[in-house]
Amino acid sequence: MRVTANMSAENSLYNIQQGRAKLDRLQELTASGANVNRPSDDPINTRLLLDIGDKLKAGAQYSSNIQKTSTWQQFTYTALTGMSDAVRLAKKLVSSIVNGSSDPTERQSAHDQLVALKQQMVDMGNTQMGDQYLFGGANNTKPFNYSVTASPYYAGDETQQNIEVGANSPIKMNVLGNQVLAADEALATPYGTVNVLKTFDDLIAAVGDSTNPSNVANIKTASIALSDGAQQINNAISDVAARLSRLDNAGKMNASIKNTLETVYSNTQNVDYAKLAVDMNQQKLAFDASLSATAKLSQMSLLDYLK
Amino acid sequence: MGLSAAMEIGKNGLNIYRVATEVTGENIANVNTPGYSRQRVILETAPPTTANGFPLGTGVHIATVERYYDSLLQQQMVNAHTTQGYDTTKSTVLQQIEPSFNEVAQDGLGAAVSNFYASWQDLTLNPAGSAERQAVLSRAQILVDNFNSVSKSLNDSIATQNASLVPQTQDINQILGNIAQLNGQIKTTELVSGNANETRDQRDQLVRDLSQKIGITYTENSDGTTDIKLGANNLVVGSTAGLLSLVPNGSISDVYVTQAGGGAAAILVPQPSTGQLGATLALRDTIIPGYLAKVDTLAMTIANQVNTQHKLGFDLNGLAGINFFDPAATNAATMAINPLLTSTKQIAASGSALLAADSSNALTIAKQQNALTMLGGTATFNSYFDGLVSQIGLDVRASKTTLAQDEAFTKQLTSLRESNSGVSLDEELTNLVKYQRSYQASAKLISTATDMMDIVIGMVR
Repeated sequence: MRVTANMSAENSLYNIQQGRAKLDRLQELTASGANVNRPSDDPINTRLLLDIGDKLKAGAQYSSNIQKTSTWQQFTYTALTGMSDAVRLAKKLVSSIVNGSSDPTERQSAHDQLVALKQQMVDMGNTQMGDQYLFGGANNTKPFNYSVTASPYYAGDETQQNIEVGANSPIKMNVLGNQVLAADEALATPYGTVNVLKTFDDLIAAVGDSTNPSNVANIKTASIALSDGAQQINNAISDVAARLSRLDNAGKMNASIKNTLETVYSNTQNVDYAKLAVDMNQQKLAFDASLSATAKLSQMSLLDYLK
Repeated sequence: MGLSAAMEIGKNGLNIYRVATEVTGENIANVNTPGYSRQRVILETAPPTTANGFPLGTGVHIATVERYYDSLLQQQMVNAHTTQGYDTTKSTVLQQIEPSFNEVAQDGLGAAVSNFYASWQDLTLNPAGSAERQAVLSRAQILVDNFNSVSKSLNDSIATQNASLVPQTQDINQILGNIAQLNGQIKTTELVSGNANETRDQRDQLVRDLSQKIGITYTENSDGTTDIKLGANNLVVGSTAGLLSLVPNGSISDVYVTQAGGGAAAILVPQPSTGQLGATLALRDTIIPGYLAKVDTLAMTIANQVNTQHKLGFDLNGLAGINFFDPAATNAATMAINPLLTSTKQIAASGSALLAADSSNALTIAKQQNALTMLGGTATFNSYFDGLVSQIGLDVRASKTTLAQDEAFTKQLTSLRESNSGVSLDEELTNLVKYQRSYQASAKLISTATDMMDIVIGMVR
């Protein structure tokens, strides 16, 4: 084939351009540290990376859901423990005057203590997180009131709220106040059937006060109901503890999935600097050589030898 | 015959080697002219005489000055240029579109979709919270902005492609006019005297330029002219040229053709599908609208799904939910938050009119993110969009690869053409030396003949 100086020049330019393009790509990889800088770099892996990115975003949201739900459950746990303590104190008090008392002062004192304990129960039942009532269901009104002394004790509603802690993996968020404190008014009774608040009212009436005598039979009946109520609250505590444990598990699994996904992501996306450095050196050498060869050869001409 | 014949041969030689040097000079001068084909002097012996009793030539004679030209190579280059023109335009435009979908940075439309649904998840934790409600509205606004912006950049690309048809057709028309004009010159020149080499080179170069813009076929006629056809339409016949024109059709333009030799402009059927013009039309009519349609589908499906579910819920005032997104919107460009949704209280998170703090409707909307809604129930919103990004990535990569192959192929053909028709300075310099020596020898012949003449005259004295 006949070769002209212009052909050599064209070839040199083409090859220098190719070399530059390769160096440029290596430079981009080194500078960004990422294998895929735009979808066309690697369309198939782009798909994978995007998918992982979506999953990581979803995971971050679930993690936030888990954390917030966890806080809610811990609040609930604390409130329920408070109720349980109040019931325990009430039981102790009742056992001391289970046969009634003829002393008006003692009767009045027991009466006052029980009223205070009931108020404590109601306060616990009205616990708020932010502006939401923990035990109020979904209608955002105060679920319990001191002044209420007859059914319905519960002013909330019976909506069970759910939160997603994983894709299509809901967990119960709230404990319904009536199931804990006024179970005979509830549609569902997972913890027991005792109306704890009514029991308190019954006890307060049965114990009597400075002017009214005690009703021993009623004290006994109410005292049995109070024991059942204590069990009912403990059942609710167990339920919340189980939720906390499930949240903990979900959190750990979420973190582990995140870890795995991030490993896959970085395996795909992060460049191998050692390999890049070697490639870069090779390419630099080749590029140097092509520049040098072009410079030397393109200067040669017959003109230099013609006089 | 006598000494004067020898002098005559010498004089002839001087003339001819002067011409040969001129041709070499022309070659050297045009060493870098695009499309120039090197020329050579074809020498032959002048007609012989038998004046001496035997036949002997009367010196040298220039048969012709011809150019090195390979018509098969020209044909291949025309085809290669058409393909390269198409792929160059496609690749360039696609690479301009790609950044709109560069989700690798985890930031963009896909992220906006994720964040929008995440804000509904947050709302399930505190359905009556005004901060959470505001977050839903803000995320929705960002989502809408993203859809609007991607749609705008795609629509702008379509408009740019349409606008670029004007300079492209003008370019083509100008080249057609030039080819027709050169055809006329070649025909006239060659009727009078030999080859119109330079003019032919210019025309062939124009044919190659034209082929890059639009896929044409051409015929070389015996009278030196070249006819150009686009499909069945005559664009150049002899020294008359047709032209392409643009006629608006709605928001875009159709390409019309006026045949060489006159007649009315008629719509080009089919519309060009090759060369730069073909690529521009394909991008305008098929490729970019294809992406746009997918973005529109995604935008409208999200809007409809959210609207449908939102209307089933109840807002903070216990009223039934209204459309969350503007129901009048028909595509990603017009997508907007419902103008009637002015307060965060109107977000229908609750599943019951009586329960302000219920989260069931918010949860149902949040769950839409993981539902297989797209592509006939096989893809979530995110995976549908990821698929679109991946497809654009594939398209860009494919067009880059094809273009690299085209460039290598064209380069190979250019090398072949250069090998055949290109000027080699070394060769020309050698020729120059050769012709110079021959010129010197011819001069020597004349001076020798003069000396001999002197001898003869001296004898007479």
